[in-house]
Amino acid sequence: MHPLRHLILLLLLPLAAFAAAPIEGRWRLDRTRSTALDGWHEWDLVISLTGTQVGLQHDMKWGQTRFSATNTVDTAHPVTLPAFFRVEQRHMALYPAKGGTTPVRAAWLDDGRTLRVEADTPIEISQGQAVMRIYAEYRLIEGGQELQLIELHSSRPRPLIYQFTKVPAEAAKK
Amino acid sequence: MKHPFLLALVALALTSTAPLPAAEAAAAPARSAWVMHFDSDWKIASGLPEKVLLIGLQGLANRSEPRLYIVHAADFPWEITGPLKDFYERKHGVKFTALQTADEALTQFARYAKGYVVWDPAVMPTMIVAFTIAGLEDAVVVTPALIPLAEQHGLRKIDDLRGRYDGKTDAQIYTDAKARYWARCSHDKLMLMGGHRGDIRIPGIADWGVREKMFFHDLSANPLHAEELALEKQFFSELNPGGTIFGWHVYGKDTEEQHTTLISTYGLKMEGLQSLPNLSFNCQFKFTPGFKFTNQHHVAPGAQLVAEPKVYLAFVQSDGIGIGVWTKPGRGRMPLAWGAIMGWVHFSPAALEYFHESATPGDYFIGGLSGPAYMYPNHIPADRFPGLMKEAADLMKVLDETIFEIMDNSAADGNVGNTDLSKETVDRYYANFPDVAGFINGYGPARTRDLRDGRPLLSYDYYIDPRRPREEVTADLNELIALNAKRPYFCLVHVRESNDVNSLVEVIKGLRGPVEVVPLDTFMNLAAGNKTYTTRYQDPDEPKHFKGYR
Repeated sequence: MHPLRHLILLLLLPLAAFAAAPIEGRWRLDRTRSTALDGWHEWDLVISLTGTQVGLQHDMKWGQTRFSATNTVDTAHPVTLPAFFRVEQRHMALYPAKGGTTPVRAAWLDDGRTLRVEADTPIEISQGQAVMRIYAEYRLIEGGQELQLIELHSSRPRPLIYQFTKVPAEAAKK
Repeated sequence: MKHPFLLALVALALTSTAPLPAAEAAAAPARSAWVMHFDSDWKIASGLPEKVLLIGLQGLANRSEPRLYIVHAADFPWEITGPLKDFYERKHGVKFTALQTADEALTQFARYAKGYVVWDPAVMPTMIVAFTIAGLEDAVVVTPALIPLAEQHGLRKIDDLRGRYDGKTDAQIYTDAKARYWARCSHDKLMLMGGHRGDIRIPGIADWGVREKMFFHDLSANPLHAEELALEKQFFSELNPGGTIFGWHVYGKDTEEQHTTLISTYGLKMEGLQSLPNLSFNCQFKFTPGFKFTNQHHVAPGAQLVAEPKVYLAFVQSDGIGIGVWTKPGRGRMPLAWGAIMGWVHFSPAALEYFHESATPGDYFIGGLSGPAYMYPNHIPADRFPGLMKEAADLMKVLDETIFEIMDNSAADGNVGNTDLSKETVDRYYANFPDVAGFINGYGPARTRDLRDGRPLLSYDYYIDPRRPREEVTADLNELIALNAKRPYFCLVHVRESNDVNSLVEVIKGLRGPVEVVPLDTFMNLAAGNKTYTTRYQDPDEPKHFKGYR
């Protein structure tokens, strides 16, 4: 490589780091094309990247209730989250175990177009406590305007499949 | 044969050819009454004014005798008005004559009115105040457009609310009405004329309020509406102990949770809904001679069943039996427990008898809800609790019920969130219901559980939203079964009103593992014998969506 081109590339790399990755931003659940939510009416997923950390912010709405929770994972190493948020089917007696912590592993796949998240989260059940193993893939669809979340539970015979569409940056600020 | 449900089916087959008991075979003395068939138009701009006139007139006509009955359209929330009319004909010998129009109804019943009161459709609280006046002054309730019709039948104006409340807030309106009418109204019963807002109202219960001379209002229990809340508290504090609030809260103005919490803090009872029809007629019939409630128990007194290493499910339908799926196809295909409205022993006994008469071997009745009527027990004053629960226990004995259902959504977020009972509340239930076989708790899922003296208290592990796709309901239940891996697992399921029984049968077919659906009394007995569930009460650290009024 020509030394000058090398120099230009080195100068541009930090700029590239500041440019938003296509998966970043606010994504809104398309309920008509998704697995039925139970106990939530609306779901915005806000993805943010800081180095190897990925913020998965869930803005939920149920009637007049608004709730927001963020799982921050790291693609460089496993993390343990004290308040892991799982989008529950709220009419099931499954609750985050009080005081429970959730080991979470994350990795980029498919040249950075898919984020894989694996979590073993403790759940309070009527018989005491159990661990739900969650495998999730956040897949950016070609074109960059759609995101698909596929979530598998060790306890559920069917996958949960959620389709999101990108909220334009200006609209997301409102 | 191990399965109690099959045993019950066989029992029914054996008894179906038996002669009717003598008491039932005895012909009831014939009596005449009139019936009107309502359509589904409850819009303020079209169908409501005439219906308001007729429902108010029904309350007056039925003061001394049951004269006028209303059969509602098929899509009306209370589905039993047609079958119950048939029941009155068959079991009480009532000969109904149909009335087609308001004119015909006034021809027949105007004699029970002394005049009319005018309400203004542009100021809807005037309709509510007019119902209060109707009860006190024996007036029919008319809009300006219906004045000529009333006058054709010899009725003269008693009051005219046009203009009186223009521009006034609800708090101002009901403060004025309280000053004018409250002293003469019943202090045992209060009418909360809530329900829909917007362009429709369904004041189906107004006949009852008119007959009983209740004060009508639609005040808010929402702390945001401080003046209304304060006024409503005044009413509640002035009601006689043990009083009952009939009707329902106002959609959009406050929540069911806020209102029921408020009512419970005064130790009062809630009987819904605002659409509940014909109480002025129903209250005047007793049980047919010789009739005795006989619940279809599946467990012999004193027996202790032994649970196998499997998943036991029981399904409960609690939303006021008449608004559920009783009249829909499929009932009887699976064991289902029903929360009958116990207060109907007093004011709608024929409806309860109808339900019992038409029960299949799969139908099992339970007491509730939380007390002799709908209440939130975490908020019932300690000094009122024993008296109220004695009333509930007595009703359960009349109805031959052994399982009691509790619900407290005061801290919940709709049907989700914190729906648990404090330990203190659980202690009170065990102390005040020594004869019940067990308690169930919740509406949505809850996690209050206990077992004392062989009597379990179990909460719903799942709530079936009628809109949820059946394949997801199946997956939800399978997930609960997978996570609750100890066997036996006792999974209590609440079936929301209007869920179709046939679809539930399909859900059950999709469940994995050694699953058995059993009647609720069997379920509770099995759960008493093998406690694989934790003991748990409301955790003070858990968030409360609504913290109550104190």
